[in-house]
Amino acid sequence: MPDSAKATPSTKTGSEVPVQSGLFNYPLTDGETPALKGNRCTQCGKSFFPKRAICPECFVSGQMEEIELERQGVVYASTVVRVSSPTGIKAPYAYGYVDLPANQLRVFALFTGADPGSFVPGRKVEVVLEPIGKDTEGNTVVGYKYKPVTG
Amino acid sequence: MRKMRDVYIIGAGMTQFGKHLERSLRDLGREACLLAIQDAGIRPKEVEAGYCGNALAPAIQGETGVGQNVFWEVGISRIPIVNVENACASGSTALREGWMAVAGGFYDVVMVIGVEKAVMPKGTMLNVGASELETKLGEVFPGYFATIAQKHMERYGTTREQMAQVSVKNHVHGALNPYAQFQKKFTVEEVLNSPMIADPLTLYSCCPNSDGAAALVLCSKEKAKKVNGRAIRIAASVLATGTYDNQRDITNWEVEIRAAQQAYKMASLGPRDLDVVEVHDAFTICEILHYEGLGLCPLGEGGRLIDEKATELGGRIPINPSGGLLSKGHPVGASGVAQVVEIVWHLRGEAGERQVQGARVGLADMMGGNKEGDTRACTVHILVKE
Repeated sequence: MPDSAKATPSTKTGSEVPVQSGLFNYPLTDGETPALKGNRCTQCGKSFFPKRAICPECFVSGQMEEIELERQGVVYASTVVRVSSPTGIKAPYAYGYVDLPANQLRVFALFTGADPGSFVPGRKVEVVLEPIGKDTEGNTVVGYKYKPVTG
Repeated sequence: MRKMRDVYIIGAGMTQFGKHLERSLRDLGREACLLAIQDAGIRPKEVEAGYCGNALAPAIQGETGVGQNVFWEVGISRIPIVNVENACASGSTALREGWMAVAGGFYDVVMVIGVEKAVMPKGTMLNVGASELETKLGEVFPGYFATIAQKHMERYGTTREQMAQVSVKNHVHGALNPYAQFQKKFTVEEVLNSPMIADPLTLYSCCPNSDGAAALVLCSKEKAKKVNGRAIRIAASVLATGTYDNQRDITNWEVEIRAAQQAYKMASLGPRDLDVVEVHDAFTICEILHYEGLGLCPLGEGGRLIDEKATELGGRIPINPSGGLLSKGHPVGASGVAQVVEIVWHLRGEAGERQVQGARVGLADMMGGNKEGDTRACTVHILVKE
């Protein structure tokens, strides 16, 4: 089997590495709130996450600008996985799709911070950055997840 | 579309699907190829091109060039051989490549094979597409289909019992099929009470990982007349790719609806003309979506079709008489070819205990791979007995 947990190459063992570069700032600077980074075509206005090199509608290169996605969204669909993942996530764990209405985007994401079965469609959630596992070099892989909006 | 030649299937064969721990890809592929060649009544020498569907050998066995290896096992070399990977639709995409080659006048006789060894140690899951972000985050195959099931239930009132009934039906069919991995029937309660994999899909709502191979011999009309009186015409062959529309309604696959419409148009037939159908029931909810995508019922009424028992053997439109992926098994790259082998047998009246009586028109529908919550590849083939 190919190595499943291999993340962005890192220079030293035991450090924290983002699951993929360009998805979010990490580590965060003092006072910076976690947020996903997508991009948008300056010609047609369509947004993408993860970022795309070229807008597939306009097919013009060099016209993409980075945007910060709205931090809160609404669960579109979800499931609770009852078997541990090949990447080492212990069951049960929840994931699904989160709609970001202002960005007109739907994001695949793990859920955290509440009973896995509670992320029913329509629930308001917000993005956080959390460890999702270890890579083969022993680094902690950091990914994004959504937790319930409190208060 | 340009004028194309008619293409016929004159040979069909497959191994039993299941666990073949001691057998290699070449071994399984050879058995299926020989059966298809013998069935066609041709010599390997007559084959002018070969197409091999395989999805996982590079990942699981570390083997590439499976097509050349398998065809050489039956003495086929020198000719153009193409390896095709399109996830679960690898075999059916290989079939389409072969169909195009004969339809386009490049060759008169070609072979198509699908082969896979995907049985994994107990408790492990396939981890293909490991470089995709979703996979790195922890997505697993059943989970994607579980979210589809959740939305279908929410939007149309589809029930867990209706989904379970798909598995019950296909295991009843599979018990009649000597080529099926499982020869065992389940009750709705047994399906619902089997271990939960990804809510609401239980273990018996998911197809197994399997080993197996299936093969076909295709030829032009002139050649079909000469060599075999049991030729079945390929009336339509369509391959389509998803739109990856990020915010689409996941309760149907637009790519499947589009592919089916193209296929019906190509064949000058409609859903009402179908006598027997094989669909990609990797998970129970998939079969319900396929009923709708193929136009066998309106959107949202797939659950009702199951309740009406319309899709059982003896029903109005039997679906997956082979047992489907759920019962027959799912050697990924072989499944798309095996579906067509099954349809050929029904149209010839050679399907044994599970025969759909008087079947004249059959359809095989395969989907492969997920991307952005959509399907990468969808194939639809319509076969006609003349």
